[in-house]
Amino acid sequence: MASIARCLRAARPAALPTLARSSVSQPFSRLSTIRAFSASTIRPVRKYTKDHEWVDLSADNKTGVIGISEYAAEALGDVVYVELPEKGKTVGAGDAIGAVESVKSAADINAPISCKITDVNFLLEEKPGTINQVPEDDSHGGGWIAKVTVDEQGVKDLEALMDAEEYKTFTAGEDAEH
Amino acid sequence: MYNLRNASIALTRPLSRLKPSSHVTYRPFTSYTSSSLNTVQIYHSTSHNPYLNLSIEHHLLTKSHPDSILLFLYRNAPCVVIGRNQNPWLETNLSALRYGLPSTNNGEVKLVRRRSGGGAVFHDLGNANWSVICPSAAFDRDRHAEMVVRALKRIGVDGVRVNERHDIVQDVKSDGKESTFKVSGSAYKLTRLRSLHHGTCLLDSPNLGRISPLLRSPAEAYIKARGVESVRSPVRNVGTDYDEFVDVVVEEFEDMYGEVEGGCVAVGDDALEIEAVKKGVDELVSSEWIFGQTPQFTFSTQPSDADPRPRPKLPDYLPENLEVSLTVRHGQIRDARMSGLKYGESLDGSSQDQAISKALVGRTLHEVRDWHKALEEASPVSLESGRVGKWLNGLFGVGQI
Repeated sequence: MASIARCLRAARPAALPTLARSSVSQPFSRLSTIRAFSASTIRPVRKYTKDHEWVDLSADNKTGVIGISEYAAEALGDVVYVELPEKGKTVGAGDAIGAVESVKSAADINAPISCKITDVNFLLEEKPGTINQVPEDDSHGGGWIAKVTVDEQGVKDLEALMDAEEYKTFTAGEDAEH
Repeated sequence: MYNLRNASIALTRPLSRLKPSSHVTYRPFTSYTSSSLNTVQIYHSTSHNPYLNLSIEHHLLTKSHPDSILLFLYRNAPCVVIGRNQNPWLETNLSALRYGLPSTNNGEVKLVRRRSGGGAVFHDLGNANWSVICPSAAFDRDRHAEMVVRALKRIGVDGVRVNERHDIVQDVKSDGKESTFKVSGSAYKLTRLRSLHHGTCLLDSPNLGRISPLLRSPAEAYIKARGVESVRSPVRNVGTDYDEFVDVVVEEFEDMYGEVEGGCVAVGDDALEIEAVKKGVDELVSSEWIFGQTPQFTFSTQPSDADPRPRPKLPDYLPENLEVSLTVRHGQIRDARMSGLKYGESLDGSSQDQAISKALVGRTLHEVRDWHKALEEASPVSLESGRVGKWLNGLFGVGQI
């Protein structure tokens, strides 16, 4: 997702609230925040990239779910089309797997970790706005992008990513720069 | 297939800011581009081939040094450029593009799908394209549109500003009334490290009055598409020539980022020697990209839940009960329902309809070059009239109408 987070600043200052503010205004986002902070061993732990993607890895380290962060979704503005990843494709961390279009911008979605795409969220093609509403919801009807299987490399890639707390600090820093 | 030889027309006089292209070979171009020593770079294309220019631009986006800032200027021979996630059957009149403009040598107006987002635009040699490539961390939607506004003001173009859609518009007063015209449109491509902002600028196009029919699809009333629809705006030339535009944009760019030693680097057909550029061109000219990249859409002669718009009355020459419905995904017909075709009195029409519908599923829409032929081939028996096929040819911009 690169730094789409920055791009609407001039035109839509209101589009860049803090994570805290958006979680108050949107009931769904509070849900995902709770999930991200969960310390349960059964619940997956959500990790974030500097490019604003998130990944949930299952407890057995075999499968995962990928999406873009609430921070990114908010900054993107109205998403008008989501180009979904290709099912069956194997990708490395940082590879472009799809794209979202908003405000005349085609922004790459990158794989947060090495993985193989096993399923994609077709709902997003029909209702791209779901990405704006519930980007971190991995359930049916949510804004998740792809389901994946993960090998050892993928699990290793995860170490470089941020947990929810670190990501929050990171995005606060990005805001402060401007 | 386009003709590179024709597409590359030498500039009539050397631009004051540009190096003569004879100094440029592809090797310096690549090493210069990726070098960390040249953080501010300016390129100009001597080619008017839109596929090549977009591929050079993409090459600069992907291969330039991550910290560098680049300006690239080029013009294209007449073409309609659609956004990455648009539908050519909905956004353009494919027959009109093929028929072309009276002012162009070889007639045809090329159809191009770019890699960036946004809507459909018309280019010709009276339109300048400017693009700025910078680190994603420094990306801003308006910064370089503002740069072009300052450049235009420098040559006395009044009333120009960046609007809320990040386009450059000109407010013009005539007879006491103020009207606003679009003179430049913007689109963006954002990758992990690098971001691209490119824009058009209508300078002195002789074709403004002819653009609208090219961007109106005869099938509009029947197509419901996922993806991005264009927003129509009245347009206008700013009234300057290309050389002057290049000069002032380069000056504004250098005011922002510092003077570029050696000035502009000219690129052109020789860039095809770079493997990645050649590959980029091959992709952009392919029907898989131009048509196959189209987001899913339906074509239907009847209103439906998904597309309840009332439909225009079908022409009188078509069978009274004709119904056609197609679902097309990435250019491929996934579902087809045809009914009401005429086969001759003794035949069971509905089972023939079903047979035709079934035979159409799996076909690639842009490979159907003549619907009359396609229906004949799909039909187990001879069709009574070729008019349905001809009507569909008109809507999809192929074959005999």
